[in-house]
Amino acid sequence: MSTAMGRLVRAELKLMVREPLTLIFVFVFPVVTMLIIGGSFGTKPSDAFDGANPSQWYVASYLTVVIAATGLIMIPVHLASYRERGVLRRFAAAGFGRWSFALAEAVTGLVAIAGGSAVLLAVAAPVYGLPPLHHPVAVMTGFALGAVAFVAIGVLLGTVLPSARSAQALGMVLFFPSFLLGAGGPPPNAMGSVLRSIAGYLPLSRVTDAVREPWLGIAPATGSLAVVATLAVVATVVAARRSRLVTSAGR
Amino acid sequence: MVIMSETDVVVVRGLSKSYGGRRVVDGLDLEVAAGEIVGLIGANGAGKTTTVECVQGLRRPDAGWLRVLGLDPATQGERLRGLVGSQLQSSGLPDRLRVGEALQLFAGRRDEMLLEEFGLGGRERGAFASLSGGERQRLFLVLALVNRPRLVILDELTQGLDPSARRGVWAAIDQLRTEGTAVLLVTHELEEAERLCDRVVAMRSGRVLDAGSPAELVDRHGAWATVSFSVPPGSPAVVSPERLGRLPGVREVSSHGGRMNVRGERRAIAHVGAALVEIGWVPPDLSVKVPSLDDALVDLLERAGPNEVAAGVAENTVQPEPIGANR
Repeated sequence: MSTAMGRLVRAELKLMVREPLTLIFVFVFPVVTMLIIGGSFGTKPSDAFDGANPSQWYVASYLTVVIAATGLIMIPVHLASYRERGVLRRFAAAGFGRWSFALAEAVTGLVAIAGGSAVLLAVAAPVYGLPPLHHPVAVMTGFALGAVAFVAIGVLLGTVLPSARSAQALGMVLFFPSFLLGAGGPPPNAMGSVLRSIAGYLPLSRVTDAVREPWLGIAPATGSLAVVATLAVVATVVAARRSRLVTSAGR
Repeated sequence: MVIMSETDVVVVRGLSKSYGGRRVVDGLDLEVAAGEIVGLIGANGAGKTTTVECVQGLRRPDAGWLRVLGLDPATQGERLRGLVGSQLQSSGLPDRLRVGEALQLFAGRRDEMLLEEFGLGGRERGAFASLSGGERQRLFLVLALVNRPRLVILDELTQGLDPSARRGVWAAIDQLRTEGTAVLLVTHELEEAERLCDRVVAMRSGRVLDAGSPAELVDRHGAWATVSFSVPPGSPAVVSPERLGRLPGVREVSSHGGRMNVRGERRAIAHVGAALVEIGWVPPDLSVKVPSLDDALVDLLERAGPNEVAAGVAENTVQPEPIGANR
Protein backbone atom coordinates (compact mmCIF):
# COMPACT_ATOMS: atom_id res chain seq x y z
CA MET A 1 0.00 0.00 0.00
CA SER A 2 2.49 2.60 -1.17
CA THR A 3 0.09 4.79 -3.11
CA ALA A 4 -1.22 7.95 -1.49
CA MET A 5 -4.63 6.32 -1.17
CA GLY A 6 -3.12 3.22 0.42
CA ARG A 7 -1.10 5.28 2.89
CA LEU A 8 -4.19 7.27 3.78
CA VAL A 9 -6.28 4.15 4.40
CA ARG A 10 -3.57 2.62 6.56
CA ALA A 11 -3.18 5.81 8.61
CA GLU A 12 -6.95 6.17 9.02
CA LEU A 13 -7.30 2.57 10.20
CA LYS A 14 -4.59 3.12 12.81
CA LEU A 15 -6.23 6.31 13.97
CA MET A 16 -9.63 4.61 14.14
CA VAL A 17 -8.48 2.14 16.77
CA ARG A 18 -6.87 4.95 18.78
CA GLU A 19 -10.09 6.96 18.89
CA PRO A 20 -12.02 6.38 22.15
CA LEU A 21 -15.35 7.53 20.68
CA THR A 22 -15.04 4.92 17.94
CA LEU A 23 -14.02 2.16 20.29
CA ILE A 24 -16.91 2.90 22.64
CA PHE A 25 -19.72 3.43 20.15
CA VAL A 26 -18.76 0.96 17.46
CA PHE A 27 -17.10 -1.83 19.41
CA VAL A 28 -18.33 -1.61 23.02
CA PHE A 29 -21.80 -0.04 23.10
CA PRO A 30 -23.50 -2.54 20.74
CA VAL A 31 -22.02 -5.50 22.62
CA VAL A 32 -22.94 -4.25 26.09
CA THR A 33 -26.48 -3.24 25.16
CA MET A 34 -27.02 -6.48 23.23
CA LEU A 35 -25.93 -8.49 26.26
CA ILE A 36 -28.32 -6.55 28.49
CA ILE A 37 -31.42 -6.42 26.33
CA GLY A 38 -30.81 -9.81 24.72
CA GLY A 39 -31.05 -11.37 28.16
CA SER A 40 -34.10 -9.38 29.25
CA PHE A 41 -36.86 -11.30 27.47
CA GLY A 42 -35.70 -14.87 27.80
CA THR A 43 -35.31 -17.36 25.02
CA LYS A 44 -38.89 -18.55 24.59
CA PRO A 45 -40.27 -17.71 21.14
CA SER A 46 -42.83 -14.95 21.38
CA ASP A 47 -45.37 -13.26 19.08
CA ALA A 48 -43.93 -9.89 20.05
CA PHE A 49 -40.76 -11.07 18.35
CA ASP A 50 -42.47 -12.45 15.27
CA GLY A 51 -42.35 -15.92 16.78
CA ALA A 52 -38.57 -15.86 17.22
CA ASN A 53 -36.39 -16.49 20.24
CA PRO A 54 -36.04 -12.95 21.75
CA SER A 55 -32.33 -13.32 22.50
CA GLN A 56 -31.59 -14.42 18.96
CA TRP A 57 -33.98 -11.78 17.60
CA TYR A 58 -31.74 -9.18 19.23
CA VAL A 59 -28.54 -10.84 18.02
CA ALA A 60 -29.91 -10.57 14.48
CA SER A 61 -30.90 -6.95 15.10
CA TYR A 62 -27.76 -5.62 16.70
CA LEU A 63 -25.47 -5.81 13.66
CA THR A 64 -27.26 -2.72 12.45
CA VAL A 65 -26.49 -0.91 15.71
CA VAL A 66 -22.85 -1.19 14.67
CA ILE A 67 -23.78 0.23 11.26
CA ALA A 68 -25.66 3.15 12.82
CA ALA A 69 -22.90 3.95 15.32
CA THR A 70 -20.38 4.06 12.48
CA GLY A 71 -22.50 6.13 10.12
CA LEU A 72 -24.13 8.51 12.57
CA ILE A 73 -21.36 9.06 15.11
CA MET A 74 -17.92 7.77 14.15
CA ILE A 75 -17.59 9.10 10.59
CA PRO A 76 -19.35 12.47 11.01
CA VAL A 77 -17.39 13.37 14.14
CA HIS A 78 -14.11 12.25 12.60
CA LEU A 79 -14.66 14.07 9.33
CA ALA A 80 -16.03 17.25 10.91
CA SER A 81 -13.07 17.39 13.29
CA TYR A 82 -10.70 17.07 10.32
CA ARG A 83 -12.44 19.95 8.57
CA GLU A 84 -12.53 22.05 11.73
CA ARG A 85 -8.83 21.55 12.44
CA GLY A 86 -7.62 22.05 8.88
CA VAL A 87 -6.53 18.44 8.38
CA LEU A 88 -8.40 18.17 5.08
CA ARG A 89 -6.77 21.39 3.99
CA ARG A 90 -3.38 19.86 4.68
CA PHE A 91 -4.29 16.67 2.82
CA ALA A 92 -5.50 18.68 -0.16
CA ALA A 93 -2.36 20.84 -0.16
CA ALA A 94 -0.17 17.73 0.00
CA GLY A 95 -1.61 16.46 -3.23
CA PHE A 96 -3.93 13.72 -2.02
CA GLY A 97 -6.50 13.24 -4.76
CA ARG A 98 -9.91 14.76 -4.29
CA TRP A 99 -11.49 11.34 -3.92
CA SER A 100 -8.82 9.73 -1.83
CA PHE A 101 -9.93 11.03 1.53
CA ALA A 102 -13.62 10.25 0.99
CA LEU A 103 -12.69 6.77 -0.23
CA ALA A 104 -10.36 6.25 2.71
CA GLU A 105 -13.17 7.25 5.05
CA ALA A 106 -15.55 4.85 3.31
CA VAL A 107 -13.05 2.01 3.55
CA THR A 108 -12.35 2.81 7.20
CA GLY A 109 -16.07 2.95 7.96
CA LEU A 110 -16.72 -0.39 6.26
CA VAL A 111 -13.78 -1.97 8.10
CA ALA A 112 -15.13 -0.57 11.39
CA ILE A 113 -18.54 -2.07 10.63
CA ALA A 114 -16.99 -5.41 9.75
CA GLY A 115 -14.82 -5.38 12.86
CA GLY A 116 -17.58 -4.23 15.20
CA SER A 117 -19.95 -6.85 13.78
CA ALA A 118 -17.34 -9.59 14.18
CA VAL A 119 -16.81 -8.64 17.82
CA LEU A 120 -20.57 -8.56 18.38
CA LEU A 121 -21.09 -12.02 16.88
CA ALA A 122 -18.07 -13.41 18.73
CA VAL A 123 -19.55 -12.28 22.04
CA ALA A 124 -23.13 -13.29 21.16
CA ALA A 125 -22.24 -16.81 19.99
CA PRO A 126 -21.27 -18.29 23.36
CA VAL A 127 -23.88 -16.30 25.30
CA TYR A 128 -27.08 -16.48 23.24
CA GLY A 129 -26.03 -18.59 20.27
CA LEU A 130 -26.13 -17.39 16.67
CA PRO A 131 -29.49 -17.88 14.96
CA PRO A 132 -29.32 -19.96 11.78
CA LEU A 133 -29.23 -17.92 8.56
CA HIS A 134 -32.41 -18.72 6.64
CA HIS A 135 -31.56 -16.58 3.62
CA PRO A 136 -27.83 -15.83 3.78
CA VAL A 137 -27.63 -13.99 0.44
CA ALA A 138 -30.49 -11.68 1.36
CA VAL A 139 -28.96 -11.06 4.80
CA MET A 140 -25.53 -10.28 3.36
CA THR A 141 -27.08 -8.04 0.72
CA GLY A 142 -29.14 -6.13 3.27
CA PHE A 143 -26.14 -5.81 5.58
CA ALA A 144 -23.79 -4.64 2.82
CA LEU A 145 -26.25 -2.13 1.36
CA GLY A 146 -27.10 -0.85 4.84
CA ALA A 147 -23.41 -0.42 5.62
CA VAL A 148 -22.82 1.49 2.37
CA ALA A 149 -25.89 3.67 2.97
CA PHE A 150 -24.87 4.63 6.50
CA VAL A 151 -21.22 5.17 5.62
CA ALA A 152 -22.39 7.53 2.88
CA ILE A 153 -24.74 9.29 5.30
CA GLY A 154 -21.80 9.62 7.70
CA VAL A 155 -19.58 11.16 5.05
CA LEU A 156 -22.38 13.51 4.06
CA LEU A 157 -22.97 14.64 7.65
CA GLY A 158 -19.24 15.07 8.22
CA THR A 159 -18.86 17.28 5.17
CA VAL A 160 -21.83 19.44 6.08
CA LEU A 161 -21.47 19.95 9.84
CA PRO A 162 -19.01 22.66 10.79
CA SER A 163 -17.37 21.18 13.89
CA ALA A 164 -16.75 17.94 15.74
CA ARG A 165 -18.95 19.17 18.57
CA SER A 166 -21.91 19.84 16.30
CA ALA A 167 -21.38 16.48 14.58
CA GLN A 168 -21.34 14.73 17.94
CA ALA A 169 -24.50 16.54 19.10
CA LEU A 170 -26.45 15.82 15.93
CA GLY A 171 -25.01 12.30 15.76
CA MET A 172 -26.36 11.52 19.24
CA VAL A 173 -29.75 13.01 18.39
CA LEU A 174 -29.96 10.84 15.29
CA PHE A 175 -28.38 7.74 16.77
CA PHE A 176 -30.34 7.13 19.95
CA PRO A 177 -33.88 7.35 18.51
CA SER A 178 -32.71 5.21 15.59
CA PHE A 179 -31.15 2.74 18.00
CA LEU A 180 -34.20 2.54 20.28
CA LEU A 181 -36.90 2.47 17.58
CA GLY A 182 -35.00 0.90 14.70
CA ALA A 183 -32.73 -1.80 16.06
CA GLY A 184 -31.94 -2.29 19.72
CA GLY A 185 -35.09 -1.22 21.58
CA PRO A 186 -38.48 -2.85 21.99
CA PRO A 187 -39.79 -4.93 19.07
CA PRO A 188 -42.20 -3.05 16.76
CA ASN A 189 -45.00 -5.40 17.78
CA ALA A 190 -44.66 -4.13 21.35
CA MET A 191 -44.77 -0.47 20.34
CA GLY A 192 -47.83 1.73 20.21
CA SER A 193 -49.12 2.63 16.79
CA VAL A 194 -47.55 6.09 16.75
CA LEU A 195 -44.10 4.85 17.68
CA ARG A 196 -44.42 1.97 15.25
CA SER A 197 -45.28 4.40 12.46
CA ILE A 198 -42.32 6.61 13.31
CA ALA A 199 -40.04 3.59 13.49
CA GLY A 200 -41.21 2.53 10.04
CA TYR A 201 -39.85 5.74 8.53
CA LEU A 202 -36.42 5.48 10.10
CA PRO A 203 -33.69 4.37 7.68
CA LEU A 204 -32.16 2.17 10.34
CA SER A 205 -35.47 0.30 10.81
CA ARG A 206 -35.44 -0.60 7.14
CA VAL A 207 -31.84 -1.78 7.31
CA THR A 208 -32.65 -3.85 10.41
CA ASP A 209 -35.70 -5.37 8.70
CA ALA A 210 -33.60 -6.17 5.63
CA VAL A 211 -31.10 -8.06 7.80
CA ARG A 212 -33.19 -9.58 10.59
CA GLU A 213 -36.24 -10.83 8.73
CA PRO A 214 -34.42 -12.99 6.15
CA TRP A 215 -31.95 -14.09 8.83
CA LEU A 216 -34.66 -15.40 11.14
CA GLY A 217 -36.89 -16.56 8.30
CA ILE A 218 -39.65 -14.14 9.27
CA ALA A 219 -40.09 -12.66 5.78
CA PRO A 220 -37.97 -11.96 2.68
CA ALA A 221 -38.16 -8.19 3.44
CA THR A 222 -37.78 -7.32 -0.23
CA GLY A 223 -39.58 -4.00 0.32
CA SER A 224 -37.11 -2.94 2.99
CA LEU A 225 -34.22 -4.20 0.87
CA ALA A 226 -35.38 -2.04 -2.03
CA VAL A 227 -35.63 0.98 0.26
CA VAL A 228 -32.15 0.32 1.64
CA ALA A 229 -30.73 -0.12 -1.89
CA THR A 230 -32.28 3.17 -2.96
CA LEU A 231 -30.97 4.87 0.16
CA ALA A 232 -27.48 3.48 -0.50
CA VAL A 233 -27.44 4.80 -4.06
CA VAL A 234 -28.87 8.23 -3.26
CA ALA A 235 -26.72 8.73 -0.15
CA THR A 236 -23.59 7.65 -2.02
CA VAL A 237 -24.23 10.01 -4.94
CA VAL A 238 -24.98 12.98 -2.68
CA ALA A 239 -22.03 12.21 -0.37
CA ALA A 240 -19.69 11.84 -3.34
CA ARG A 241 -20.73 15.18 -4.78
CA ARG A 242 -20.34 16.88 -1.44
CA SER A 243 -16.99 15.16 -0.79
CA ARG A 244 -15.63 16.28 -4.13
CA LEU A 245 -16.51 19.85 -3.29
CA VAL A 246 -15.09 19.71 0.21
CA THR A 247 -11.95 17.66 -0.22
CA SER A 248 -10.72 19.28 -3.42
CA ALA A 249 -10.52 22.61 -1.61
CA GLY A 250 -9.49 21.12 1.70
CA ARG A 251 -12.50 22.46 3.53
CA MET B 1 -0.03 35.29 -23.99
CA VAL B 2 2.43 35.57 -21.13
CA ILE B 3 6.02 34.63 -21.85
CA MET B 4 7.71 32.64 -19.11
CA SER B 5 11.44 32.32 -18.73
CA GLU B 6 13.12 29.03 -17.93
CA THR B 7 13.73 30.08 -14.35
CA ASP B 8 10.14 31.16 -13.67
CA VAL B 9 8.51 28.89 -11.14
CA VAL B 10 5.43 30.98 -10.45
CA VAL B 11 3.90 33.50 -12.84
CA VAL B 12 0.61 35.18 -11.98
CA ARG B 13 -1.05 37.86 -14.06
CA GLY B 14 -4.23 39.70 -13.21
CA LEU B 15 -5.36 37.31 -10.49
CA SER B 16 -8.75 38.20 -9.05
CA LYS B 17 -10.86 36.40 -6.49
CA SER B 18 -14.03 37.43 -4.67
CA TYR B 19 -15.97 35.88 -1.83
CA GLY B 20 -19.65 36.75 -1.67
CA GLY B 21 -19.21 39.90 -3.72
CA ARG B 22 -16.19 41.08 -1.72
CA ARG B 23 -13.07 41.19 -3.85
CA VAL B 24 -10.14 39.88 -1.82
CA VAL B 25 -7.59 39.66 -4.64
CA ASP B 26 -7.80 42.30 -7.33
CA GLY B 27 -5.69 42.08 -10.47
CA LEU B 28 -2.56 40.80 -8.76
CA ASP B 29 0.69 40.11 -10.61
CA LEU B 30 3.42 37.97 -9.08
CA GLU B 31 6.51 36.06 -10.13
CA VAL B 32 8.83 33.76 -8.26
CA ALA B 33 11.99 32.42 -9.90
CA ALA B 34 13.99 29.33 -9.04
CA GLY B 35 16.22 29.93 -6.03
CA GLU B 36 14.32 33.06 -5.10
CA ILE B 37 12.52 33.77 -1.83
CA VAL B 38 9.56 36.09 -2.34
CA GLY B 39 7.61 37.41 0.62
CA LEU B 40 3.96 38.40 0.54
CA ILE B 41 3.27 40.87 3.30
CA GLY B 42 0.31 42.93 4.34
CA ALA B 43 -2.28 43.29 7.03
CA ASN B 44 -4.94 40.66 7.75
CA GLY B 45 -7.40 40.57 4.85
CA ALA B 46 -4.85 41.82 2.33
CA GLY B 47 -5.42 38.71 0.21
CA LYS B 48 -2.09 36.99 0.84
CA THR B 49 -3.45 33.60 1.86
CA THR B 50 -6.05 33.57 -0.92
CA THR B 51 -3.27 34.32 -3.39
CA VAL B 52 -1.15 31.36 -2.31
CA GLU B 53 -4.24 29.13 -2.22
CA CYS B 54 -4.91 30.04 -5.86
CA VAL B 55 -1.24 29.39 -6.68
CA GLN B 56 -1.61 25.91 -5.19
CA GLY B 57 -4.91 25.25 -6.91
CA LEU B 58 -6.82 25.07 -3.63
CA ARG B 59 -9.06 27.89 -4.82
CA ARG B 60 -10.19 28.69 -8.33
CA PRO B 61 -9.49 32.25 -9.41
CA ASP B 62 -12.35 34.31 -10.79
CA ALA B 63 -9.97 35.72 -13.37
CA GLY B 64 -6.28 35.78 -14.16
CA TRP B 65 -3.51 33.75 -15.74
CA LEU B 66 -1.45 31.46 -13.53
CA ARG B 67 1.34 29.04 -14.23
CA VAL B 68 3.16 27.19 -11.49
CA LEU B 69 5.98 24.86 -12.54
CA GLY B 70 4.46 25.08 -16.00
CA LEU B 71 1.06 23.86 -14.83
CA ASP B 72 -2.26 25.64 -14.54
CA PRO B 73 -3.29 25.36 -10.87
CA ALA B 74 -6.98 25.71 -11.74
CA THR B 75 -7.08 22.67 -13.99
CA GLN B 76 -3.98 20.70 -12.99
CA GLY B 77 -4.11 21.33 -9.26
CA GLU B 78 -3.85 17.72 -8.13
CA ARG B 79 -0.74 17.12 -10.21
CA LEU B 80 0.75 20.41 -9.14
CA ARG B 81 0.18 19.91 -5.42
CA GLY B 82 2.30 16.78 -5.50
CA LEU B 83 5.21 18.94 -6.71
CA VAL B 84 4.83 21.75 -4.20
CA GLY B 85 5.73 21.65 -0.53
CA SER B 86 3.48 23.75 1.63
CA GLN B 87 2.99 24.79 5.18
CA LEU B 88 -0.43 26.37 5.30
CA GLN B 89 -1.99 28.66 7.84
CA SER B 90 -4.81 27.13 9.92
CA SER B 91 -4.11 23.56 9.02
CA GLY B 92 -3.36 20.69 11.32
CA LEU B 93 -2.90 16.97 11.65
CA PRO B 94 -4.95 14.35 13.48
CA ASP B 95 -4.21 14.48 17.21
CA ARG B 96 -3.23 10.85 17.48
CA LEU B 97 -1.07 10.69 14.37
CA ARG B 98 2.56 10.14 15.34
CA VAL B 99 5.43 12.15 13.89
CA GLY B 100 6.91 9.16 12.05
CA GLU B 101 3.49 8.17 10.74
CA ALA B 102 2.93 11.70 9.44
CA LEU B 103 6.12 11.44 7.40
CA GLN B 104 5.10 8.01 6.17
CA LEU B 105 1.66 9.32 5.23
CA PHE B 106 2.78 12.46 3.41
CA ALA B 107 6.03 11.23 1.89
CA GLY B 108 5.73 7.47 1.85
CA ARG B 109 8.97 7.13 3.79
CA ARG B 110 10.62 8.03 7.05
CA ASP B 111 13.40 10.62 7.02
CA GLU B 112 15.21 10.55 10.33
CA MET B 113 17.91 12.94 9.11
CA LEU B 114 15.37 15.62 8.28
CA LEU B 115 13.69 15.13 11.66
CA GLU B 116 17.06 15.49 13.35
CA GLU B 117 17.82 18.58 11.30
CA PHE B 118 14.64 20.24 12.58
CA GLY B 119 15.07 19.17 16.17
CA LEU B 120 12.50 16.40 16.06
CA GLY B 121 14.91 13.51 16.45
CA GLY B 122 13.62 11.18 19.14
CA ARG B 123 10.05 12.46 18.71
CA GLU B 124 9.17 10.00 15.97
CA ARG B 125 6.69 8.16 18.17
CA GLY B 126 5.24 11.33 19.67
CA ALA B 127 1.59 12.01 18.83
CA PHE B 128 0.81 15.31 17.13
CA ALA B 129 -1.28 16.41 20.13
CA SER B 130 1.72 15.98 22.43
CA LEU B 131 3.96 18.32 20.41
CA SER B 132 4.61 21.88 21.52
CA GLY B 133 3.64 24.74 19.20
CA GLY B 134 7.21 25.04 17.99
CA GLU B 135 7.53 21.31 17.37
CA ARG B 136 4.31 21.35 15.35
CA GLN B 137 5.58 24.18 13.18
CA ARG B 138 8.84 22.34 12.63
CA LEU B 139 6.98 19.16 11.74
CA PHE B 140 4.90 21.08 9.19
CA LEU B 141 8.11 22.41 7.72
CA VAL B 142 9.57 18.91 7.56
CA LEU B 143 6.43 17.72 5.77
CA ALA B 144 6.71 20.63 3.33
CA LEU B 145 10.31 19.84 2.53
CA VAL B 146 10.48 16.07 2.73
CA ASN B 147 9.84 15.47 -0.96
CA ARG B 148 12.45 18.05 -2.04
CA PRO B 149 9.91 20.20 -3.91
CA ARG B 150 10.94 22.85 -6.45
CA LEU B 151 8.48 25.29 -4.90
CA VAL B 152 7.77 25.69 -1.20
CA ILE B 153 4.85 27.79 0.05
CA LEU B 154 5.10 28.84 3.66
CA ASP B 155 2.22 30.70 5.32
CA GLU B 156 3.06 32.23 8.71
CA LEU B 157 6.20 30.16 8.87
CA THR B 158 7.57 31.00 12.30
CA GLN B 159 4.37 31.85 14.12
CA GLY B 160 4.65 30.58 17.68
CA LEU B 161 8.34 29.74 17.50
CA ASP B 162 10.82 30.93 20.12
CA PRO B 163 13.74 33.05 18.85
CA SER B 164 16.16 30.14 18.79
CA ALA B 165 13.80 27.88 16.84
CA ARG B 166 13.03 30.75 14.51
CA ARG B 167 16.70 31.21 13.67
CA GLY B 168 16.98 27.50 12.97
CA VAL B 169 14.05 27.65 10.57
CA TRP B 170 15.47 30.71 8.85
CA ALA B 171 18.75 28.89 8.31
CA ALA B 172 16.85 25.99 6.73
CA ILE B 173 15.05 28.38 4.37
CA ASP B 174 18.35 30.01 3.43
CA GLN B 175 19.63 26.55 2.58
CA LEU B 176 16.65 26.04 0.24
CA ARG B 177 17.67 29.11 -1.73
CA THR B 178 21.16 27.76 -2.28
CA GLU B 179 19.65 24.50 -3.52
CA GLY B 180 17.64 26.40 -6.15
CA THR B 181 14.23 25.93 -4.52
CA ALA B 182 11.74 28.74 -5.01
CA VAL B 183 10.04 29.89 -1.82
CA LEU B 184 6.82 31.88 -1.55
CA LEU B 185 6.58 33.16 1.99
CA VAL B 186 3.48 34.72 3.54
CA THR B 187 4.34 36.57 6.68
CA HIS B 188 3.39 39.30 9.10
CA GLU B 189 6.93 39.28 10.47
CA LEU B 190 8.76 42.03 8.67
CA GLU B 191 12.02 41.12 10.36
CA GLU B 192 11.59 37.67 8.83
CA ALA B 193 10.90 39.16 5.41
CA GLU B 194 13.93 41.43 5.65
CA ARG B 195 16.13 38.55 6.82
CA LEU B 196 14.99 35.98 4.23
CA CYS B 197 13.42 37.53 1.17
CA ASP B 198 15.07 38.47 -2.09
CA ARG B 199 11.93 40.34 -2.99
CA VAL B 200 8.96 41.50 -0.99
CA VAL B 201 5.47 42.12 -2.34
CA ALA B 202 3.45 44.45 -0.15
CA MET B 203 -0.30 43.91 -0.48
CA ARG B 204 -3.36 45.77 0.61
CA SER B 205 -6.99 45.07 -0.28
CA GLY B 206 -5.94 42.38 -2.71
CA ARG B 207 -3.62 44.60 -4.71
CA VAL B 208 0.11 45.06 -4.89
CA LEU B 209 1.15 48.31 -3.27
CA ASP B 210 4.79 47.92 -4.15
CA ALA B 211 7.37 45.21 -4.76
CA GLY B 212 11.10 45.06 -4.68
CA SER B 213 14.05 43.96 -2.61
CA PRO B 214 13.86 44.88 1.08
CA ALA B 215 16.54 47.53 0.51
CA GLU B 216 14.61 49.05 -2.39
CA LEU B 217 11.43 49.23 -0.36
CA VAL B 218 13.26 50.82 2.53
CA ASP B 219 14.74 53.37 0.16
CA ARG B 220 11.38 54.13 -1.37
CA HIS B 221 9.22 54.15 1.73
CA GLY B 222 11.47 54.21 4.79
CA ALA B 223 11.36 57.07 7.19
CA TRP B 224 14.40 59.37 7.14
CA ALA B 225 17.61 58.24 8.69
CA THR B 226 18.38 60.19 11.85
CA VAL B 227 21.76 61.17 13.27
CA SER B 228 21.61 62.42 16.86
CA PHE B 229 24.24 63.80 19.17
CA SER B 230 24.55 66.08 22.17
CA VAL B 231 25.90 69.57 21.74
CA PRO B 232 27.29 70.66 25.07
CA PRO B 233 27.76 74.38 25.74
CA GLY B 234 31.02 75.60 24.22
CA SER B 235 31.00 73.17 21.29
CA PRO B 236 32.60 74.47 18.10
CA ALA B 237 30.38 77.11 16.61
CA VAL B 238 30.53 75.46 13.23
CA VAL B 239 28.11 72.76 14.40
CA SER B 240 25.16 74.91 13.68
CA PRO B 241 21.78 73.75 12.39
CA GLU B 242 22.25 75.97 9.40
CA ARG B 243 25.52 74.34 8.38
CA LEU B 244 24.18 70.84 8.91
CA GLY B 245 21.04 71.71 6.97
CA ARG B 246 23.16 72.52 3.91
CA LEU B 247 24.81 69.09 3.81
CA PRO B 248 23.75 66.79 0.94
CA GLY B 249 20.74 64.63 1.74
CA VAL B 250 19.83 66.45 4.95
CA ARG B 251 16.15 67.37 5.12
CA GLU B 252 15.58 68.58 8.63
CA VAL B 253 17.68 69.67 11.57
CA SER B 254 16.24 70.21 15.01
CA SER B 255 17.60 70.73 18.47
CA HIS B 256 15.88 69.70 21.68
CA GLY B 257 17.32 69.75 25.18
CA GLY B 258 20.87 70.18 23.99
CA ARG B 259 20.60 67.32 21.52
CA MET B 260 20.88 67.81 17.77
CA ASN B 261 18.76 65.63 15.49
CA VAL B 262 19.63 65.56 11.80
CA ARG B 263 17.13 63.77 9.57
CA GLY B 264 17.50 62.98 5.92
CA GLU B 265 18.32 60.42 3.30
CA ARG B 266 20.71 57.63 4.20
CA ARG B 267 23.62 59.38 2.47
CA ALA B 268 23.20 62.24 4.93
CA ILE B 269 24.66 59.95 7.62
CA ALA B 270 28.03 59.93 5.88
CA HIS B 271 27.98 63.66 5.19
CA VAL B 272 27.14 64.56 8.78
CA GLY B 273 29.88 62.25 10.05
CA ALA B 274 32.36 63.70 7.58
CA ALA B 275 31.45 67.25 8.57
CA LEU B 276 31.98 66.48 12.24
CA VAL B 277 35.33 64.82 11.58
CA GLU B 278 36.36 67.73 9.38
CA ILE B 279 35.92 70.20 12.20
CA GLY B 280 37.72 67.84 14.54
CA TRP B 281 34.85 67.24 16.90
CA VAL B 282 33.33 63.77 17.27
CA PRO B 283 30.47 63.67 19.76
CA PRO B 284 30.90 60.75 22.16
CA ASP B 285 27.17 59.95 22.19
CA LEU B 286 26.50 60.08 18.45
CA SER B 287 23.80 57.62 17.41
CA VAL B 288 22.36 56.69 14.04
CA LYS B 289 18.89 55.35 13.40
CA VAL B 290 18.42 53.73 10.01
CA PRO B 291 14.89 52.83 8.88
CA SER B 292 14.14 49.10 8.69
CA LEU B 293 11.81 47.28 6.34
CA ASP B 294 9.40 47.26 9.23
CA ASP B 295 9.43 51.07 9.38
CA ALA B 296 9.15 51.34 5.62
CA LEU B 297 6.24 48.96 5.21
CA VAL B 298 4.26 50.05 8.21
CA ASP B 299 4.49 53.51 6.76
CA LEU B 300 3.56 52.29 3.29
CA LEU B 301 0.65 50.13 4.44
CA GLU B 302 -0.76 52.80 6.69
CA ARG B 303 -0.29 55.60 4.21
CA ALA B 304 -1.49 53.98 1.00
CA GLY B 305 -5.09 54.22 0.00
CA PRO B 306 -6.90 51.19 -1.38
CA ASN B 307 -6.47 52.35 -4.95
CA GLU B 308 -2.82 53.25 -4.65
CA VAL B 309 -0.88 50.65 -6.57
CA ALA B 310 2.76 50.96 -7.46
CA ALA B 311 3.48 51.57 -11.07
CA GLY B 312 5.98 49.41 -12.80
CA VAL B 313 5.69 46.45 -10.45
CA ALA B 314 5.04 44.09 -13.29
CA GLU B 315 7.21 45.60 -15.95
CA ASN B 316 7.81 43.79 -19.22
CA THR B 317 4.63 41.78 -18.92
CA VAL B 318 1.94 41.27 -21.48
CA GLN B 319 -1.77 41.72 -20.93
CA PRO B 320 -3.10 38.61 -19.16
CA GLU B 321 -5.52 36.33 -20.85
CA PRO B 322 -8.37 35.41 -18.52
CA ILE B 323 -8.87 31.80 -17.51
CA GLY B 324 -12.58 32.35 -17.14
CA ALA B 325 -14.78 33.90 -14.52
CA ASN B 326 -16.54 32.20 -11.62
CA ARG B 327 -15.72 28.67 -12.58
